[in-house]
Amino acid sequence: MNTFTAYVNGVSFWAPRLPGWQIAEPVLRGEAAAPLQPAPRPQPTLLGPTERRRAPDTVAIALEVAGRACESAGADPKELPSVFASTHGDLAISDYMSETLARTPTLISPIRFHNSVHNAAAGYWTIGTGCYEPYTALTAYEDTFGEGLLEALTQAACGDRAVLLVAYDIEARGPLATIVSSRGIVGAGVIVSPHARANSLARVLWRTRRGGQRTVAMDRNAELVEGNAMAACLPFFEALARTERRTVCVGLSPTLSLELAIDFPDAGQPDEG
Amino acid sequence: MAAPQTPEQQELAELIVAALNLEGIEPQGIDPDAALFGSGLGLDSIDALELALEISKRYGVQLKADDEDNKRIFASLRALSDYVQQKRAA
Amino acid sequence: MTPLRITGHSIACPAGIGVPELASALRGSRSGLRPNDFGDSPLPTWIGRVPGVEAVALPGHLADWDCRNNRLAWLALTSDGFFEAAVAARARYGADRVALVMGTSTSSIGATEEAYRRLLPDGRYPEDLRRPIVHTPHSLGDFVRAALGLEGVAVTVATACSSSAKIFAQAERLIRLGLADAAIVGGVDSLCGSVLFGFNSLELVSPEPCRPFDRARRGISLGEAGGFALLERDGEGGPWLLGYGESSDAHHMSSPHPEGFGARLAIQGALTRAELTPDAIDYINLHGTASQKNDEVEARLVADMFPARTLASSTKGWTGHTLGAAGIVEAVITFLAMDTGLVPGTLNARELDPACGPQIRIDNQSAEVRFALSNSFGFGGSNCSLLFGKARRE
Repeated sequence: MNTFTAYVNGVSFWAPRLPGWQIAEPVLRGEAAAPLQPAPRPQPTLLGPTERRRAPDTVAIALEVAGRACESAGADPKELPSVFASTHGDLAISDYMSETLARTPTLISPIRFHNSVHNAAAGYWTIGTGCYEPYTALTAYEDTFGEGLLEALTQAACGDRAVLLVAYDIEARGPLATIVSSRGIVGAGVIVSPHARANSLARVLWRTRRGGQRTVAMDRNAELVEGNAMAACLPFFEALARTERRTVCVGLSPTLSLELAIDFPDAGQPDEG
Repeated sequence: MAAPQTPEQQELAELIVAALNLEGIEPQGIDPDAALFGSGLGLDSIDALELALEISKRYGVQLKADDEDNKRIFASLRALSDYVQQKRAA
Repeated sequence: MTPLRITGHSIACPAGIGVPELASALRGSRSGLRPNDFGDSPLPTWIGRVPGVEAVALPGHLADWDCRNNRLAWLALTSDGFFEAAVAARARYGADRVALVMGTSTSSIGATEEAYRRLLPDGRYPEDLRRPIVHTPHSLGDFVRAALGLEGVAVTVATACSSSAKIFAQAERLIRLGLADAAIVGGVDSLCGSVLFGFNSLELVSPEPCRPFDRARRGISLGEAGGFALLERDGEGGPWLLGYGESSDAHHMSSPHPEGFGARLAIQGALTRAELTPDAIDYINLHGTASQKNDEVEARLVADMFPARTLASSTKGWTGHTLGAAGIVEAVITFLAMDTGLVPGTLNARELDPACGPQIRIDNQSAEVRFALSNSFGFGGSNCSLLFGKARRE
């Protein structure tokens, strides 16, 4: 099976007790304790006033990590195709929609409805940044992060260019929460490219492999994003936070995984790809 | 100096701010004669639909998108409040 | 890109279940729209509803995924011999070498809506709906994966109206890189309260059957549908995917870019990828939702980009706007045009909007279609144009 080379040129992360990659990185590496107090939800400052006041939680968190990933890469958002991955989409709006439809269907809020589409965050991102590059918005249930990462890596390889991946999930509310378990907020971003840069975080040799292997996150880290539907992203970010080479498996489907051999070539070495 | 708001205008101003999540806008600070759409508060067509919904829920007054008088009705807080009060009384 | 042959496809839509029924409806100008009879208090509008979905019974081992959307998916999957073709492809390539890329907008949200209507006194879901997989958007992709026994890439794309067009592009990339040897792509979206009352709240829904590109059009008619396509590097028959273009409008969540900037990028992208110029295009299946803004923008764009000889139409007068299934439905209609030489017109249009150029036709035409485009421009500004060819260009 083919193995491909990609570079991680930008990274971001947000959870209430890991608010930002600067804080998350040493915590994931085991060199710092997570803040005791959860941080409040970030504000989507990137958006114009009209979009900003309409933005629900999913949009706020997705745009936060999208913007920070671009900053960390020194990348212009306008130049990046993007992949937005969320297991359940906006669970608060799903609860609102079903609740309102059950009682007063003709009184659906137009703003909440137009925020209910799975591609809302992607839409707001491209509107906010003025980006004409294509986006996709996808889900694969428990393998959403894996499929999102695969799609970003695939687009990067096919297009020979950098691609932004944004992954996020929020907590379930209302009766839906008795069926769908997701707690808290997690947002994560990476920019992947077939081309190394001077400040590339890591090199990734990736391929798909049959079987259901999935790397498990460390307990102390898993606790920090416990119960969130996007917790499956954690092992990948744990590996990025380290400095020694690691192989991480992320699920693509119950019978297929994405294997990522992550290492850290010396800074300044030319692209060997 | 903006005209002071009547109690009906103030109630409507509070509804507008809450319905549209207009952060940083004080309801009492909305000039009754300032434009709501375009300039002024900078609301758009989706906001008009959202407002129409909230107004129908609170006051029982229906506003339709294809009403030719909408430009006039939505022109300002005063115009919208007058329309709502007039329809309520009917 | 790697040109891919569409060696099998299927359809279940308001104008017909199975390709022959759809072909007959197109030929006979018989709309599949009906007055809204969906739900308890139907809004006064017209819809495209697929008859018999409620009566579909899933095989016992797929009971976990049972819901209206997946029943519609099953109906489409078992039409036109597609299920057999898919199983044969799985055997030929290996279950892990056939990728699955599904498109939808609301997936099984109808099941969640129902659960909320039937909550138990303690706030829990009724027993029969306590199946987590139908209360999440990947319900569709996971159902088809299980139904076909596929063991490779399996993903659900939800980019509103462009979903089941973008699936073709995503599949091509997977095959091009050798991550899969073939792909099953499909789109399914079903009527539900969220879309009916949601689009109603945006005042985008017409009180009469939709009239795309008509100067007096009054909005969209919502529809439901399911469809599938099998993509391989080559095969015994079928049209070819020769190009695609994708872009974002970067303008507004529910209105298109006023100059069609993103749409133009998508169309141009498809032409470039296929190494064709606009004058090579015989037919364009337009997005043409009958909304005020989409049709105005799209009409001007087509008039500007294409010569007079390129035929164009919107077929949403037959099916309604099937949202996440629009891409696959309109691809299948395009395949039919290529196969039969019958180019569908714009059903329900009576007098075209002055923005239309000579390309957009009301009546059906007879013409050879060697190369065709299909446009899908979505809510949230996601655009995708697909370019199909009767033959692979040498």
